[in-house]
Parts: sequence; structure tokens; C-alpha cells
Amino acid sequence: MKATTFRIAALLVPVTLMQVFLLPRLSVLHVSPDAMAVLVGFTAISSGRNASMLIGFLGGMLTGMLIGQMGLLMLAGTIGGFIAGLFQIPEESHATQSLKTRKFFLASTLCSFTSFAVMAAGSNPLALSFAYRILVLGSIAAIFTLLLAIAARLLFMKKSFAD
Amino acid sequence: MKKFFGFFFRNNSLLLLIALSAVSLTFIKMEQADVLQRINTAGTAFRAAIADKIASYGYLIDLKNENDRLLETNIALIGRILATDNAIRTEADRSRILSGTAEQLKNFTLARVVDRQFSNRENMLLIDGGLSRGIRTDMTVMTPRGLVGRVVAVSEHYAKVMPLIHADFRASVVSSESGTMGVLAWKGGREDMATVDHVPISSSLKLGEEMLTTSFSTFAVPGLPVGRVVSITQGALFSTVTIRLAVDFSSLNHVIVVPLNRDPEKLRLLEGRTESGTDR
Repeated sequence: MKATTFRIAALLVPVTLMQVFLLPRLSVLHVSPDAMAVLVGFTAISSGRNASMLIGFLGGMLTGMLIGQMGLLMLAGTIGGFIAGLFQIPEESHATQSLKTRKFFLASTLCSFTSFAVMAAGSNPLALSFAYRILVLGSIAAIFTLLLAIAARLLFMKKSFAD
Repeated sequence: MKKFFGFFFRNNSLLLLIALSAVSLTFIKMEQADVLQRINTAGTAFRAAIADKIASYGYLIDLKNENDRLLETNIALIGRILATDNAIRTEADRSRILSGTAEQLKNFTLARVVDRQFSNRENMLLIDGGLSRGIRTDMTVMTPRGLVGRVVAVSEHYAKVMPLIHADFRASVVSSESGTMGVLAWKGGREDMATVDHVPISSSLKLGEEMLTTSFSTFAVPGLPVGRVVSITQGALFSTVTIRLAVDFSSLNHVIVVPLNRDPEKLRLLEGRTESGTDR
């Protein structure tokens, strides 16, 4: 596994804490942005599908330790990581900065939507209908995550996407 | 052999997906197991401690002390009112009041809400009272206004509460005037509304009647206000009753935890055990 993957793994704990304590305070319609999906999306394009699945799995485990439903969160993270892995950029590729950015946004957004759908299928604490949970709230979560990914790209990832 | 390893090499992502999913599903299966419960409890404690610190920054010390003092007074008054109301209902309790013993009132515990989650992912309250203050799983949580929920997990200093506005929460309720009974459930939507199921259409329940917890609930103390009837829709056999909840969950800062009021004999009977203690 590449050194980048270990650096990403080191971010797991702070991102988990942010996900549990900070982001729920920004929620709209009971949905908050998914910082873990942004991390998984970045892992997918920089280190590949296996690494993104592993990060999603570990991220789900850490989050589950704090809020419960560990198994479901691990499954959601793994499947989200698998979907994000579809946007992997091979090492030898000559992808442009804008292509990398687009793939990062797509990977984060789809990872968030997929994880949300898995969570919504397995747990329903607000007694909402299945379709509403997945289609409406899932879309809102994906949009929030996209906004978070854009903010992360502008603030912290200026060098990460160099040509 | 080369083909065998070639297969694994080519499909390693899928195999990893299957392996990680299998581990996750095993964890889901094991969710009730003791080890995971302990991890969850430890996680709850850690999270509550952090949330407590965050919440305390915005807390004015003097205001807090005054608030706590008033709430302590409220606890005592609510305890007396509940005990009196219940005692009036039965002759046995009346004699208990006359004898001046209300020992159980001493065990009411005041706790502060340190975190509140109301999202599609989780729906619960974290309070700053735990095992060290005598709080146990299944204890009733209330405010002077009425029922809040039930303790579902406890660590040393914190407890997790399932509010009555949770899809999995159920409690038996009875109306104050007509004595109509039903089962309280929350089916999503507004935070201040819930429904009462299994109310026969023949019942004489009226709009505006107060719904209280019953004496045969396995966790709640009897006579706790739950809400007031705002609509009654008649079905084929049962009416669907909507109530406006007594507690405002959007501004919940302090709660009172009521000790367990379980009759072991009743629990044995509910669990289907015979007098000798063996399962039927």
C-alpha cells in the first residue's frame, strides 16, 4: 500500500470526530454532509479501489464505535468505498487537474449517496418512508457532501491534484 | 495453480468487497453481543464527555445554578403530584400517603442533556447521568411536563435515551377522563405529534383529553402526562388518535430520570415463566 494511503489513514480519526461532533450541527432536514465520503473519494482517486474500501470500512468502524450501529456503518463505508473506487485514476495515467477534480467530486458524491442508501435501508429512526429516505434525503446528503468536497478541494487539496 | 492465483489477482477488489462486507454483516449480527455492547457503551461515554465539554462553553454558571435549583424543586413537586395522583386512584396508595412514606421519590435523578441527535442516522439524547448516579437501562426519563423516553444504554457517567419520538418506541397510555387505553407510537413527521394505536372505535375518547402512562407499563411510572388528543380518525375496528406531545423536544435541556418501578412477579408472568421459575 502506498505512503499516501497511510497518510490518508492518519486522517481517519480527525475526520471521524468531525463527522460525529461538528457536522451534525450543520444539518438541514436531518441530513448532514458526509466528511468520511470526501476522504473515501480522495482515497479512491489517489490510491485505488481497495484502499478506498478499506478506508470506508475503518471509517465506518470508528464512527460506529461512537454512535452505535457499527456493522451497518462498516458495510455502508465498504460499499461506498467500492463505488468511489470506480473513479480510480491509474498511477501511470496523464489525467489533467480538472479531470482529477471532476473524478474526486463524483467519487465523493456517489460514495455519500451509496453509504446513505445502505444506512437508510438498514435503519429508520425517524420513521420515514423508504423512497423518501433514499431518494430525497440521499440526494440532499450527496449535494451537501459535494459542497464539502468543493470546500476541501479549494482549501486543502491545491497540490494534491497537480498535473 | 497459476490460473487460480490469476483469478484472485484479477478480482481482488471484488474479493475484498465480499470479505469486508462479510465482516460487516457479522458485526451487524453480533450487534447485541456483549463485546459490541461494551464498545458501544465506551463510545457513548467518550462522545458524551466531548459533547458535554462543547455544551458547557455556552453555559452561564450562575444561570445554570439557578436553573438546577429550580429543577430540583420541580422534581420534588412533580414527584409529590405523581405520587398523590396515583395514590388517589387506589386505596392502597392512599394509605401509603397517610403513612407519609414516599421513599421512591428520593431516587429521582436530575440530568442535563449534553447531546441531541435527530437525524436519519440516529435519534437519541445523551444525558450526563450514568451508573455512578444510579441510572440503569430501561429507566423512565421525564420532565415536569411529561414523558421524554427510556434509557437504552448506560456508561459510568452518561446515558443514552431513546425519546418517545423514535420509530421503535412504544408505551401503553390511558386517557385521563374516559379511561381509554392505547399504545403510543411515533410514526415520523412532526416532532410534537404522535399517535395512539389500538383504540377501539367504541371508546368515548374526546378531543382535548390528556393521555397518561398506565400502571401496567413495564418501564414507565403510571400517571405521567404524555400529550393531549388533537384528532380522532375512525377506522374499521380501531380509531387512529393523534396527540400533541406534552414535552417540547426542541428545547429540552434537563430531564429527570425515574427509578425502575418493576414488579418482578409481573415481569415473570410477561416473560412466560411459571411459579417455579422455569420457562414454559
